[in-house]
This record gives sequence, C-alpha cells and structure tokens, in this order.
Amino acid sequence: MKSRIDIDKIARGLGAERRGKVSIRSGHFGAMQLVAEIQGRFRVPTGGGRATDPAWTKKRLVPLAEQTLKRLEHLAHKIEEKRHVHIDPMQVAALLLENVTENIADEEIEQIVESARASG
Amino acid sequence: MTWEHLTIYIDRMEELLLPEATRKRLLVVLFIPSVERDSITEIDQDRWVDEALEMFGRIFGGATAFPRAKGIWRDNDRDRKLVRDNPVVLHCYMAPEDLEDPSNQASLRTFCRRMGRETNQGEVGLVIDDEYLAITRFSEE
Repeated sequence: MKSRIDIDKIARGLGAERRGKVSIRSGHFGAMQLVAEIQGRFRVPTGGGRATDPAWTKKRLVPLAEQTLKRLEHLAHKIEEKRHVHIDPMQVAALLLENVTENIADEEIEQIVESARASG
Repeated sequence: MTWEHLTIYIDRMEELLLPEATRKRLLVVLFIPSVERDSITEIDQDRWVDEALEMFGRIFGGATAFPRAKGIWRDNDRDRKLVRDNPVVLHCYMAPEDLEDPSNQASLRTFCRRMGRETNQGEVGLVIDDEYLAITRFSEE
C-alpha cells in the first residue's frame, strides 16, 4: 500500500530541503545500507557547507556584472573566514539562486525582469 | 450461477478504522550524528538517541534505534583528510496522516533544530518516503 504523502508539503512543514531519492529497506541491514548510501551520496563537508551537491548536475554560463562577482567573492571569503569552510563564489551564487527560485513568487520575478528591462 | 449475474460489493473502509499495523506504513528515518561538524568533537550521542526515541514514541507511537554504524569518508575539501562518523539510525513507522498533522510536524521540526543547534551540526538528515531531506536552519522557534 503506498503512503500517498505530499513530500513537498512535508518538507516545507519541517523546514527541510529535498535532496534526492534513496533506496530504503526495513530492518538492520536496510538501516546500515541506508547509512552507506547517505554517507556516500549526501555527505556534508565538515564546516557544514556543501562542497558538492549531487543535485547540481547542470552547468550554465551566467553573465555577471563585475560588482556582482566581487560581492560573491566577498561573501565566499566571509563564510570561509567565519565558518572555516571552503566555498567557491559560484557555489554561493548557486545556493542563492536555488534559495531565491524556491521562495520567490512568480509576480515578483516578473516585476524584477520588467524593471531590469526598463532600466537596461 | 452464471458470472454475468454475479455482483460483488466492495466496501471502502475509513483509513482511520484500519488496524494500527496497516495504518503505520510510512517509514521515517532520522540520523543521530556521533560528532560535531568539525568531525572531531564527540557529542553525547546516547542522550540524543534517547530523546529522539522518546519524541517518536510520544508523537508517532514508537521507533527503533539500530546499533551505530561505523563510517569513514574522505573530505576532499580539507586535504583529503579521513573523517570518521558513526551515526545511529532511528526507524519510525507511522501513519501518513500523523506526519501530515502540522502540530506533529512542528514537534519533529523543533527536535531536529534543537539537535542541530545544540550538537553544532551542518545539517540534520531525515529520510521520508524514500527521499533524503536535510534540515540546515536551526534557529529557535
């Protein structure tokens, strides 16, 4: 019998991010297999950052203004200094992009695009 | 008797009237870490296992903690240093509607955030319905 739950809704309710499917089995061996899979696929680098995220499978060239890149470099440097974790400026960019695309309303992004076009 | 005249009525039972064992079909897994995110400082893992069992028992009707797994992984970001982590895995079979209940979600969320905050983690991991979920924000509610 399928559990039929809305995993997006559950993740929102728990304040969690969906990271990907795993194969899960019951019992002791299932539990141990799961640990191996989680450690292998979703390992959090020490320092709590995310050096590599298995969900980041796509790469695209994104044009940036000099000042935006400088700001990203500054943020990455600050995180490195404060949290003792190495993070690339473009990893910061990817995290910000993920966060904003997940949380921004469609109308808001339309407004941003419109105002960018108007000022450009 | 001919088959063409045979009619079978199948009654749909209310989900909540199903026996407990049938209702509890959703497996939720929680990982209790053994070290802080520096991978060196040990945490009081037994205490957190006990607290997690108590929370799952009280809110969702029970849970099982498996003996700690022994793990090692290479941290390529820190000079390919080998890091040991021996998490305890907790299995909890629950009724999907119990997890959909906002107050139960709040209890689970509060516990995970507190564990993440007090044991200084990068993230707290859960598996729900074959999917790995990560909680990374541990602010108090």
